[in-house]
Amino acid sequence: MNKQYRLLVVDDEQDVLSLLETLLKKDGHEVETATSGEEALAKMEENIPDLVITDLYMDGMNGMQLMESIHSKTPLLPVIILSGQAQIRDAVKATHMGSTAFLTKPIDKDKLSEQVRYTLNVSANGRKDSEFAEGIIYKSNIMAELVDLSMAVAATNVTVFISGETGTGKEIFARAIHKGSERSGAPFIGINCGAIPEQLLESELFGHEKGAFTGAATRHEGLFRAANGGTLFLDEIGDMPLSLQVKLLRVLQDMEVRPVGSTKTYSIDVRIISASHRDLDEMVNSGEFRSDLYYRLKVVPLEMPKLSERCEDIPLLADHFLEEHAQANNKKKKHLSPESLDYLMAAKWPGNIRQLNNVIELCATLSKTKTIALSLIRMGCQDRSKQMKTLKQAKLEFEKNYLIGILKISSGHVANAAKIAGRNRTEFYKLLNLHNIEPAKFRS
Amino acid sequence: MSGEKIVVHVDIDLEDLIPGFLDNRQKDIQKLESALQENDFETLRSIGHNLKGVGGGYGFSDITEMGAEIEVGARANDLESISENIKKLSHYLSKLEIIYEEG
Repeated sequence: MNKQYRLLVVDDEQDVLSLLETLLKKDGHEVETATSGEEALAKMEENIPDLVITDLYMDGMNGMQLMESIHSKTPLLPVIILSGQAQIRDAVKATHMGSTAFLTKPIDKDKLSEQVRYTLNVSANGRKDSEFAEGIIYKSNIMAELVDLSMAVAATNVTVFISGETGTGKEIFARAIHKGSERSGAPFIGINCGAIPEQLLESELFGHEKGAFTGAATRHEGLFRAANGGTLFLDEIGDMPLSLQVKLLRVLQDMEVRPVGSTKTYSIDVRIISASHRDLDEMVNSGEFRSDLYYRLKVVPLEMPKLSERCEDIPLLADHFLEEHAQANNKKKKHLSPESLDYLMAAKWPGNIRQLNNVIELCATLSKTKTIALSLIRMGCQDRSKQMKTLKQAKLEFEKNYLIGILKISSGHVANAAKIAGRNRTEFYKLLNLHNIEPAKFRS
Repeated sequence: MSGEKIVVHVDIDLEDLIPGFLDNRQKDIQKLESALQENDFETLRSIGHNLKGVGGGYGFSDITEMGAEIEVGARANDLESISENIKKLSHYLSKLEIIYEEG
């Protein structure tokens, strides 16, 4: 361990305190002790540690009350609760109240070391030993396990499938795996398979020859070849049409691509990471997704937890978004009141981290005070309609992406692009003007 | 109870703590005996509970087990079981031979 962390250990039993002090010092930590919750709080007035480990049952202030008091001033400080009674209800309550971990007595030296290392690696204002986890904000065990698994996977060349609801951070993990792999010097290319029409998707992935189809004014290399040596991230793979699934399967089996309209095949060396918010098992059962492709993609499955399953990460994430908001707007960072934080931690978050980000951004923008009040957070969370686009906005966005897609395919040749779109040139130009798109930018 | 030594292997990093730890256990025996005389089940339960929590961490899992027995006995107001376990603990401590080794 490079950095020495400061730990505050609290227990009213001197033998336990001495034992913890000895074991933790041996692990290289700086350890301070307190024999009561009150003494611990007094010590924290002078110096805030990186981690607090406290006994649950103590005379006077108990471990839960101590944690509550600590979190009212420093909500992100990790607290590990120790208890001689391995009662599930205590562990559940402690976790709900924001403890990082719950350990039972007698103390197991290895478990203690591991838990402390785990907690310090992933918390304390995002300070992380692991470069891999840069950009991934968490302190929950469920995420720590996922990061560990992803790190192990990154070192190999295996195909990874990431499942999880929208907004859970699938692409961030895909990028982290690429960054942590030997392929990190080569490109990481991502494509949303659900956002591009079938014909365009095929050409986008595998490439096409000049004149392969109407509008194919120039040769297009395709993303598989563009990502050669690196990683191709196929997002929303569940939205890929069946006809294309069989082509993708062939590419993965042979590690060769044949561009549309070409007789030549090209060898590729690409790692595939795919993701979907849809239940692919169910899609396989209903015949919407090919089972052979599914099993080829799902060599290592990673399941992103919902935000509500990792609510202990919400304070860290919220703090991160507040920091981002402050920096982007060149303003002083705002803070959440303890009640606001409690509310955020208990919310359901159907839109996951993306939704949390939206709520924080909205509240940070609207809050006139430095501390964001509960009333504002409530409003931000409930006003889901503001987070949804109107049908008109959604249609316009689709239209713009579609136009960009066909201009890319036709290399900015408006007549060919108009043909693909089934419009005459005048109408097509009107659409381009409406979206402020310049075809010249797509000419190679 | 036999007269043979009870050998326990303890992590060498804890060597400095062990004399104090064992002194405290002797004091616990005195406190347990006097609580037993006074039928003070709350004190018996509390000391039993502490023994249970502290023993195994130092490498004395038998102390944890005896502590647990005393705690259970105190909850059940079972003087006989408590008395027997205090004797067992006393005997255990008197026969203890510690070998320190790398953890």
